[in-house]
Amino acid sequence: MSDTKAETLNQVLLHPDRRFGADLETWLIDIGGEGLEKAIEDPGSILPTIRTANLLGLGGSGFPTHVKWEFIASQPNDQNKYLICNGNEDEPGTFKDRILLKETPHQVIEGAMITALATGVNQIVFYINPEQTGSLEAMKEAVNQWDETRYIHQISKLLGRPLEFYVVASSGHYIGGEETAAIESIEGKFPFPRGKPPYPAQQGLFDLPSLINNTETLSNVSHIMRNGAEWFINQGAGAAHGTKIFSLSGDVLYPGAYELPMGTPLSELIYHHGGGMLLDRELKAVFTGGPSNTILTPKDLDVPLDFDSVQQRRSSLGTGAMIVISEGTGIVRRVTEYVSFFANASCGQCPSCKTGTYFASQLLTRIDSGNGSRADLDTLINLTRILPGSGRCHLLDGAMKLLDSSLYHFMEEYEQPLRSS
Amino acid sequence: MSQGTAVGTIYQQALEDYVPLLERPLPEPSLETGKLLKQFHPDYIDSSRTRLETGVNRGDSCHVQLAQILQSDSRINEADLAGAATINTDVLVIGGGGAGCAAALIAQQQGAHVILATKLRLGDSNTVMAEGGIQASINKEDSPQSHFDDTLKAGHHHGNPDLIAELAMDGPDTIRWLIQQGMQFDLDEFGDLLTRRAGGTSAERICFYRDYTGLEMMRVLREAVHNSNIDVWDYSPTVELLGDDMKGCSGAVISSLKTRKYIQVNAKAVVLATGGIGRMHLNDFPTSNHFGATGDGLVLAYRIGAALRDLDSFQYHPTGLAHPYHLAGMLITEGVRSCGTYLLNNKGERFVDELAARDIVAAAIIRECKEGRGIVTEDNQSGVWLDTPGIELRQPGILRKRFPKLMRLGDKAEIDITQKPMLIYPTLHYQNGGIVINEQCETEVPGLFCVGEVSGGIHGKNRLMGNALLEIISFGRKAGLAAAKRRKNKRSSQLSIEHLNQLRRELTTAEISLDYQGPLLFPEYAKFDLDLDYVGLHRNRRSHRR
Repeated sequence: MSDTKAETLNQVLLHPDRRFGADLETWLIDIGGEGLEKAIEDPGSILPTIRTANLLGLGGSGFPTHVKWEFIASQPNDQNKYLICNGNEDEPGTFKDRILLKETPHQVIEGAMITALATGVNQIVFYINPEQTGSLEAMKEAVNQWDETRYIHQISKLLGRPLEFYVVASSGHYIGGEETAAIESIEGKFPFPRGKPPYPAQQGLFDLPSLINNTETLSNVSHIMRNGAEWFINQGAGAAHGTKIFSLSGDVLYPGAYELPMGTPLSELIYHHGGGMLLDRELKAVFTGGPSNTILTPKDLDVPLDFDSVQQRRSSLGTGAMIVISEGTGIVRRVTEYVSFFANASCGQCPSCKTGTYFASQLLTRIDSGNGSRADLDTLINLTRILPGSGRCHLLDGAMKLLDSSLYHFMEEYEQPLRSS
Repeated sequence: MSQGTAVGTIYQQALEDYVPLLERPLPEPSLETGKLLKQFHPDYIDSSRTRLETGVNRGDSCHVQLAQILQSDSRINEADLAGAATINTDVLVIGGGGAGCAAALIAQQQGAHVILATKLRLGDSNTVMAEGGIQASINKEDSPQSHFDDTLKAGHHHGNPDLIAELAMDGPDTIRWLIQQGMQFDLDEFGDLLTRRAGGTSAERICFYRDYTGLEMMRVLREAVHNSNIDVWDYSPTVELLGDDMKGCSGAVISSLKTRKYIQVNAKAVVLATGGIGRMHLNDFPTSNHFGATGDGLVLAYRIGAALRDLDSFQYHPTGLAHPYHLAGMLITEGVRSCGTYLLNNKGERFVDELAARDIVAAAIIRECKEGRGIVTEDNQSGVWLDTPGIELRQPGILRKRFPKLMRLGDKAEIDITQKPMLIYPTLHYQNGGIVINEQCETEVPGLFCVGEVSGGIHGKNRLMGNALLEIISFGRKAGLAAAKRRKNKRSSQLSIEHLNQLRRELTTAEISLDYQGPLLFPEYAKFDLDLDYVGLHRNRRSHRR
């Protein structure tokens, strides 16, 4: 490993010295509190800093964080406003938020407190996947530790209302990670995504203005405040800003979570940090971020992993999950697995999504088990054309995008197991 | 056999020198037990032991040959499953011996849909080879406590007391269940079960049917399975277990030797009852084991994350036939020694208490041979005498009446065993350790149950005669019951062989060659070419041979 590359790994959010769990004292002795102090000194500087840094939503959208924040900040301050830290994380191949919540809870909380100061939010909800008991326990413990600090009182004073934390276990449903579904879930209901508008920023949790940020996004905030926007911009590779945690899994030698400069090439992630392909096999495909996106193939190895560059390859960075597939792995089986996951995860609100994903998974299962016909394959292709756009949320579109791109790249693998009749 | 150039009296000469005698005294032991084992038992040969470098038991002592197969690459890749038929069931039982049948029968009785997949045919197993009998403390003078004490002691106190307690307590009820299934036992004139004493035990506790108890047991189990709704898949070796998103086991990939295709079986519970490792011929020993005893279950379970134990402990049955060559390794039941038959060296002297624990008797035989007091055949096989004419002198007619199978073995070897002794040498007989289980046969992998020789913990470092047959039925029933309870669980949606990636990562990191593939499935000298005859098992054409 060359030194320069070693220096880029796990430098900020996953820095090995900062992964000590719910220990506020140690956090504050280290770098903790510095960003928060600056924010408390000059709350007006937070939004411009984040805007200059151009922090993007790291839960998959890549939407500029400051835009969301400005909208919430503009809502009247005479009512409760909510910040939901989204830690539902349930999609196959993604495992970054659980590390941040469990190993660096104070990094997340401090980011959320600065966000509250910037936007006038006084109610912070940490919304966490119940399967990740380690994350839940760490966050509950960590939140209590802040109660005894002066920061809570200072922020409450600045906000004019008491700052309050809640740690809430999500429903554990995949769909519960969608913004409006999260709101429903926290309200105690089944996580059905809501129609938009109204947007959560206007009428969110309990009909009050609500801001929803991913755990990784919030984790960056204290560092940006501490080191400044310029520093954050310089953390990225090429035109990209900041770092990104990539959840690397599949047929690589060393799978795991790697925090690297945003814009690090895919090849570097796989062949350098991931130790290369398992058994030195050829790369066949990469399922990105969810895996509800267009598949990347070996010709995309040079793509810088940032939102814009991946978008240019007609795919999406998503959560930063990279499921790497080698030659010797059947694409149809993998796609069947993921589409079945989406079919199970569909909340059932939109008939096209519930029946569409289910039907697609049935057809895929039939083809994969060698019982499919040409007509089944044609039906499958048709589904990818008629279904997108007909659901309330992104689930159906994601499933179809994945299916469509697998058909585009690997049609022969779909045709091979068809019954000869 | 790993005897080097054997020394001792030539077979023909020794046979001529042999004189049947009514009584022969047992001399005082010249070596204490611990030293005898350390110096002569094959488990203690330093060059045959290594430490595992990958998996749950990393760092544990393990036999070299077993370590090689435990740290081998899988036979399959994900692409092999493309187009594979998928079948759903509640319980998948892997193995068609006594343990598998008992588990399948009970699971099915509980209302579960059961598939029993076996590598060869139903009943092709070591169960049918078990001759001596089955232990159960049914006599008035006996108790489960004594059975427990004997078992723990014989295993050199390495056994899991909880498992042994279950085994001992369940003995009488297991016999009752077997009788209900229709199994016959030898009875006295009042119709009570006849019993005899096994080596290393404190009471007459072995129930038996002639000298083919296991065969009789398998007869009734096989009939019961055929008369149930259990789906029996013959010629269907399991090549891999299926993992799920909860780090559990949710089925298996089975290779159908008939269609040469893979079948994916999704199951809510998998019961591994694949038996032992005899056909791996550890230390080049002959084996009494069935053709299919190639340690497949250990490999499959280890890969998916189950812990193993006592991987350096095997039982070498003292009395395997050593002559003629083509029958080498064939088992002669301990029952022959139980009723008082002596073991003699080339001087016609006894050298060990014939009813001591099996490892001690085996080590003593090996000592005699190594120290030149054995008998050597033209094929360089050495051994000692099993003094069958002596017992015939003391109890006329006993061989014909009680040991018809032994008489047949004598016929095959062209020896009149009532007149001439049989040449015997220890034979690789049993894997004492295996997959770690609890009293419900659960492994550390949710959904994966193990029973029989493939499991470990009951016998410690040495097994008593008759405890194996008891174990397979007693724990087989427990496994069936526990597995059937999972039938109402939700089926996992994310089944995969993803754990093989972890295996390959560990092998690569430990710099272990991935050229060797497991599980073995068939002995290396199988009379067909796996590569050519069963293309399905070797898609990528890597040699399965070392």
